[in-house]
Order: sequence, then structure tokens, then C-alpha cells
Amino acid sequence: MIDTLIATLRENTCRVSGPMGVDAARTAIVALVAGHALVACNDDVPIPGLADALARLPVEVLDPRDPQWPVRLADADAGITGALLAVAEPAAIAVAAAPGSPRGTSLVPPVHICVLRVADLVPTLADAMQTIAAGDLPSALTWIGGPSRTGDLEMITTLGVHGPRTVEVVLVS
Amino acid sequence: MSDGHAIATPGDDFHERTANAVANPVLQKALHNLDRRLRTAATSAAAHPDWKERAAAIRRETLHDLDGWLDRLEQSLTARGVQVHRASTPADARRIIVDLARARGARTVVKSKSMATEEIDLGNALEAAGITSVETDLGEYIVQLAGERPSHMITPAIHKTLPQIRDVLAREAGTDLAVDREELTLWARGRLRGEFLRADIGITGVNFAAADTGTLVLVTNEGNGRFCTTVPRVHIAVMPIEKVIPRLADVGIMLPLLTSHATGQALSNYVTMISGPRRAGEVDGPDELHVVFVDNRRRTLLGTKYEEMLACIRCGACLNVCPVYRNVSGHAYDAVYSGPMGKVLTPLLSGGAEGADLPYGSTLCHACTDACPVKIPLGDMILSLRADVPDARTALRRRRRVFWSVWARAWSTPRGYRLTTALGRVSRGRVPGLRAWTSSRELPRPAREPFRDRWAKEHR
Repeated sequence: MIDTLIATLRENTCRVSGPMGVDAARTAIVALVAGHALVACNDDVPIPGLADALARLPVEVLDPRDPQWPVRLADADAGITGALLAVAEPAAIAVAAAPGSPRGTSLVPPVHICVLRVADLVPTLADAMQTIAAGDLPSALTWIGGPSRTGDLEMITTLGVHGPRTVEVVLVS
Repeated sequence: MSDGHAIATPGDDFHERTANAVANPVLQKALHNLDRRLRTAATSAAAHPDWKERAAAIRRETLHDLDGWLDRLEQSLTARGVQVHRASTPADARRIIVDLARARGARTVVKSKSMATEEIDLGNALEAAGITSVETDLGEYIVQLAGERPSHMITPAIHKTLPQIRDVLAREAGTDLAVDREELTLWARGRLRGEFLRADIGITGVNFAAADTGTLVLVTNEGNGRFCTTVPRVHIAVMPIEKVIPRLADVGIMLPLLTSHATGQALSNYVTMISGPRRAGEVDGPDELHVVFVDNRRRTLLGTKYEEMLACIRCGACLNVCPVYRNVSGHAYDAVYSGPMGKVLTPLLSGGAEGADLPYGSTLCHACTDACPVKIPLGDMILSLRADVPDARTALRRRRRVFWSVWARAWSTPRGYRLTTALGRVSRGRVPGLRAWTSSRELPRPAREPFRDRWAKEHR
């Protein structure tokens, strides 16, 4: 199941790392944001101590509680989110909106870093929808398959038309 | 339909427009790009043959009690703080939306690609009310800048080649742009980013609306639909009434089926499931969410032989396989919906006032019926619409009936038979009044000496 997810996400031009432990994932994310100036980070990222690790970097972290958040997000270099769950077939990761986890973090910056727990992977979309429909639905649940893309120019895929050009999926075991 | 859109393929009727489309070398070049989609979509759609059955059953279950499911959807939406509006005509829908925009002092609206908003001609209504309306799907944006109408419901600018697209975008940019996908995309990204941040209202269509949970499901690849439902303070969703599905869990089947038939993707890049406006403590998303149910004669189809047309999920698969569409593209239809589904839907939604000649522009090959993921008998419907929608050909049909009854009487007697075949020999197959028919078909040439005479000679 996890191999199918990784293979298909890569086919969809995502970068995938892991599965790895929490400490390794924290290190991986720090490495990913190293060159950036401003990074937005949601509360739902399932890595304890990530905020402290980011605070030690020469990177400004944009907090969802910042009153200037919507305006400043447009200048962020990357957005870091967790995930509600993911399905292997068709490969997609579900990101839920919540207080502290805005919708824009996975949409507005050019890079989206998405942290997914391997335990939250289910086989098919039909399985996932049964679970989701029975639970408390978030105001917005977005399934993401890869970087923003268009086929409108002579039906040849071009990346990054509105949303992120790069999607980094970090798998945590 | 003449609604102020420039018609890219000229002609007084479908027949004339198809001829002009076939004679346009640039359009023919652009249309070759459809082959890319055809291959991937066909492979991907064949992967799960049982999905068609299940999806067709879900759609028919919905149509069986459409009003009941709509009432349940309205209840669920209202319980989530969504404001529901019901519009019976396109004019009602336009008025509801323009009034909402005016009451909020809106000056700019960003739109996500939606056939429903094309159907109600919303863009022109907003412009007329002094509200700037910006299409944000890249293809639709190109079409809007060119003053045209989408020629394909999934890839609206399929009729344009890359150099033509460059010309349209460069004119808007006021600078020179290279004929380069990356550069053009990057320019559009920057331009439309500004529009998203400035917009007062985001307007989208709806791919599915789940009655049980009051959830709106939106499918995009670019992410423009996400922007329209994330940044502006107000989100208005325009929903033709047949978009309702009974249960949110049904999208587990419907979504992969839609996207595999639409683009050949196992799932679209972004699927957004919206259950109400922004909640307390949330940083983004709209404060207000409105859903406009649009009827536009759909209810009149319930219980008729055309009811199944409302099962359509707008995937575009029938366009991609249609030998007519593939040669003439969408503008030749001069209607919002083109291809086989457009041939059926256009006369039905207009009560026969528009597109009455469309059902005749078909080879009746039924490739559309085979391609349809929800098993709509499009080929049969096209054929029966020829009888059910009165058009200019009604007179032709009457003439034809007279012709055949005269023929039947003549050939019932040996004398009548000899007389008419002798006439046929003299005219050498050139029958007056049949030129329209014989211009593209061979009328059989009568033998110089009929078999009847040869037989008589040899058995004298």
C-alpha cells in the first residue's frame, strides 16, 4: 500500500521522503526549509518540537495567529502542513482546514511540505470516504495529488499555474 | 445562441459551421492535441469496468427522487450555515447573484471554470452590472481575453495553438511573451494571483453536492477553485439541480470515474470538499457561502425518455470520442454545451428554441454511448430528438414522406416500375431536388440496358 502511494505520488511529480521516525522527519524538514526566509507552519503537523527546531534556524516562521497572516502568506517561501489521512488508490493526501491550520498554507506558497503518518494511510478513496462521511467534516477538506498543474496549453502538462510548483511529502512511521 | 460572444467558427447553421471548421487549418492543427487526451483517458477509464454500473445506478437513484434529494441537500446545507437560493430560469439565477454582489458592494469577482455559469451567461450579467468578472482557469482566462466562449468543457482553449495563446496573453500583458509554456504560465500565475487577492467574491460551479452531509465537491487541477473558495470573503456556488448525489460516500466511486473519463487522471490534482463557510477561529475561507440551485427546464425532463440526460457528470468523454466533435471543435455548435451531450442538452434546455439542427450533425456511430461513464444512451437520444424537436427539416421530412408514398405506389405495378426506371436512365441518376443528398453520396448509376430487357432478348 505504502509503495503504491510513493510510486504514484512520484509519478505525479511529488518529492517523497521516508517513511522515517519523528526525529529524522524533523531533521528532514529543517533541511528542506534551510534556504528560505519566511515559512508558514500549521498546527496539525504531527512532529513534536518542530516549532523549536524551526525557531533555531535563520528562518521566520509565520504563525496562523499572526493578524497579518493572510497578507504575509503571499510572501512565504513554503507552507508546512499535516494531513488528515491519505489513500493509496488513487494516490491523494487529504488536508483539513481547522483553527490553527488554515487552507492557504498548502495553496499559496510555491512549496508545500506535507507530513503524513503512515498509520493514516487507507487503501482506496471509497474506504476513506466511508470514514470521512461518518465523522465530523471540516469546513474544507482538500485532496492533493501533486503540484498545481494545467493541461490548457495544447494539452501538455505545465506545473505551478496557481498553487505550489513543488510538493514535498514527508512520511512518518 | 447569440449572447454577445464572438463566434469563432462562422456560419448560419450547424452544417455551414462544420464546413468552415473543417476548412480552418489552424483549428485542425490545434484539434490534433485531443489525441493526447483520448489515449490516456481510454486506458485509465478501462481500469475499473464495474464502476460504470455502480455510478450509473447512483445517478439513476438520484433522478428517481430528485426533488426529495434536493430538499434533503437544502436542509443539510442550511444546517451548516449555507444560504440556499432556488432559481428556475437563468435570468433568476443571474438576478440572485448580481443582487448578492451589489448588496455586498462587490467590484471584482473571481470565477473558477464552470459550465453552469456559462449556461446562465453570468459573466456578461456581472459586467453589465459594473462588476469585473475574471475567469481564473488558465484555459478559460485565455478564452475570456480572446472574447470567445470555451470550445471544450474540460480544456476550454483546445481550439487554440500555443502561438495563438501567446498572442492573446501578450496583448493583455502589454509586453512581448515567448511562445513558451513555462513563461506563459508564470505570467498568468502572477497576473491572476493579484486578482485572487483583490476579489470580493469567488464564484464556482459544483461537481457533486452530497445530500446527507451538505458537502460541495469541487474538482480542479490548477488550484484556482481552491483560491476562489479560500481568499474572497464570499463564495457563491452555482449548482444545476442534477448535481446532487445522495451520500458523500458515493464520491468514492463518482470522483475517480469523473476524472478518469475527463482527463485520464486516476484523480484530479485537487478535490475540495466544502462543508459550510469558515468556522470560528479559522483564519481563511469565506464568511458567507451561498449555493444557487439552477433548474432551467431540467425538471421538465423528469419522467420523460430524456430523463437520463440529467445523469451527465460533464466529463467530456463523449466529446473526445465523437468523430464530428474531433473534426469541428466546440464553436461549430454555437451553444454552451457541445459534442454529443450538447446535441442532446441544447435543444432540451431551450425547449427546442436552440440547437434544433444539432441532432442532425451526427454519424449515429454511438461512440458517445459507449464512452459515457454513467451509461446515458446518447446515440438513441440524438436519433429520437430528430423526431421530437421541430426544426427547418420538418418541411423536408414532409416532402420525403410524399416522395416515398409516390414511389411506393409507382413501384407496385410493372408499368409504373418500367416508367420510373426509364426516367432514371434518361436522367443518368441526376435527380432534381436531391443535390444536397448527392453532393456527399453516390447515387447508384442505372445500367445502360436493364436486366429486364436483356432477359427478354435472350429468352425470345
